Amino acid sequence: MAAGTLYTYAENWRAYKAQIAAQYSGARLKVASSPPAFTFGQTNRSPAFLNNFPLGKVPAYQGDDGFCLFESNAIAHYLSNDALRGSTPQASAQVLQWVSFADSEIIPPASAWVFPTLGIMQFNKQATEQAKEEVKRVLTVLNQHLNTRTFLVGERVSLADIAVACSLLWLYKQVLEPAFRQPYPNVNRWFVTCINQPQFKAILGEVKLCEKMAQFDAKKFAESQPKKEAPAKKEKGGKDAGKPQQQQEKKEKKKEEKKPAPAAEEMDECEAALASEPKTKDPFAHLPKSSFILDEFKRKYSNEDTLSVALPYFWENLDREGYSIWYGEYRFPDELAMTFMSCNLITGMFQRLDKLRKNAFASVILFGTNNASSISGIWVFRGQELAFPLSEDWQIDYESYNWRKLDVESEECKTMVKEYFAWEGEFKHVGKPFNQGKIFK
Amino acid sequence: MALRELSSLEKCLGLKKPNKYSTQGERKVPVLQNNNGPAVVGLVTIASSLVRDAKKTELLGNTAEQRAVVQQWLEYRVTRLDSCTKDEVKVILKELNHYLEDKVYLAGNSFTLADVLMYYGIHYIIMELAVQEKEKYLNVTRWFDHIQHYPGVRHHLPPVVVLRNRVYPSGQH
Ligand SMILES: N[C@@H](CCC(=O)N[C@@H](CS)C(=O)NCC(=O)O)C(=O)O
Repeated sequence: MAAGTLYTYAENWRAYKAQIAAQYSGARLKVASSPPAFTFGQTNRSPAFLNNFPLGKVPAYQGDDGFCLFESNAIAHYLSNDALRGSTPQASAQVLQWVSFADSEIIPPASAWVFPTLGIMQFNKQATEQAKEEVKRVLTVLNQHLNTRTFLVGERVSLADIAVACSLLWLYKQVLEPAFRQPYPNVNRWFVTCINQPQFKAILGEVKLCEKMAQFDAKKFAESQPKKEAPAKKEKGGKDAGKPQQQQEKKEKKKEEKKPAPAAEEMDECEAALASEPKTKDPFAHLPKSSFILDEFKRKYSNEDTLSVALPYFWENLDREGYSIWYGEYRFPDELAMTFMSCNLITGMFQRLDKLRKNAFASVILFGTNNASSISGIWVFRGQELAFPLSEDWQIDYESYNWRKLDVESEECKTMVKEYFAWEGEFKHVGKPFNQGKIFK
Repeated sequence: MALRELSSLEKCLGLKKPNKYSTQGERKVPVLQNNNGPAVVGLVTIASSLVRDAKKTELLGNTAEQRAVVQQWLEYRVTRLDSCTKDEVKVILKELNHYLEDKVYLAGNSFTLADVLMYYGIHYIIMELAVQEKEKYLNVTRWFDHIQHYPGVRHHLPPVVVLRNRVYPSGQH
């Protein structure tokens, strides 16, 4: 049974094919899709990567035994079992037929239609209309085939279903609104069945079918323009982003003058996919590099004395521009009953904020006793804004707190940081004794 | 009939030890006599208890909704399908054909006991259909073919040939 690593950026439908195949076959597949294991535009340009995968494209697979493969269909084939590949010469040829059909008949018109609606490609009415017609033609072929069949090849799910369903994924999510898909009931039945198989669901999650055909997103397209060169020159883009607005704009203009706006077709779908979800990638990407190494402080805080080592280190090294300090107080103290429940409230919040750990540190304290308690904490965040609005996952708890930005130079801030980090002191503003503390790190 | 069906179901579920059944009454309702406990009576009740014995309760549905739809079709099987007259067969086929237009399985998106028992119960009807009728009830035929190919299902029943390419292209359903 194959076991290895799949390199890709997150949420890549090409990688899904291999991941779903592995769900069926039981192949042990690790996915390297985020730093430090994989950074799109960097890892896949490194000499070591190019040595194994000369195109530098993803998805790319490396087995634990060293076996390397590129091209998503080859990887999915390798990670399949015989049932998925088709167990007779006829069946396996039919599987290959549909896999190729997906690549050459579905993907080109699907991309031409969907990308402008994601705001990642310029809109061209004629091209979109032509793509719609081609999509109709493809759906008609599939609908006819699935009239008498449950799955594309044989009576079980095969790689053919995986490849074709994955290549229709964006269409069904973005543009195939009920009226448009209504003439293809067999395709709809088959698609819904596929995406609801547990092996698909494990990878795709809940797929929401399009309710209203998405149209060209001009605003998003305009916004996404500067990002276009980001993957190639990530570092530079990052630095630029930190510079004052005006200067940046000037630069942008210069670039535009130098070379004419790149043709929409130049942007390939991977960049497109990346640009479409910039926020989920790294919400702090726009910030300039900071001199304050939060991890180093966390190490000091965990391993050494707080008052004599960690706190002096904190104040000496804190980058006042790259970080901000906040006081957060739970808004509904009257609802806090038993202390163990209040503690769960805090740890639950920490869990939901898991992805924020790299960019934040906090000490949150429960004061008082059963039925007479309060919760408040000191938070150190990357950037000058509250981080919570940057990601949907982070908003669950944040509205239950009052947030106040502290003036880093003020005595109040110094005192609070000291008391909350050390879990001792007067806590004058609270008026209840310390009960227990939790550290977010 | 019901007894052979139950023994096929046992095999399909991978139950090693065959149970002994009897029937009761004029309509030959199957009865499973447990060693220690009251008798289990009726096809649906016995089939469901076999599924639980085999620890394959996903065949009774994974969600509350799917479980309810499974029960609905089990009931349909014994109350409607099993007692239907020759004339009613066409109505049932029409109903089913319409229902299966946008579904691969009877309940939810996975294979359940409802598919097995409906397959057992309708087999004799599909056997008798002419090619033209099979095309008329295309969705039923497609579902039937899928279920008869489902691993371990078709034990005591002969396979029914289903054509993939239509012979009567004009025979719209
Ligand atoms: N046909 C290939 C296409 C792979 C591909 O185009 N990968 C893009 C991402 S969608 C890529 O890695 N581009 C990186 C680059 O060109 O540097 C497959 O299916 O695997």
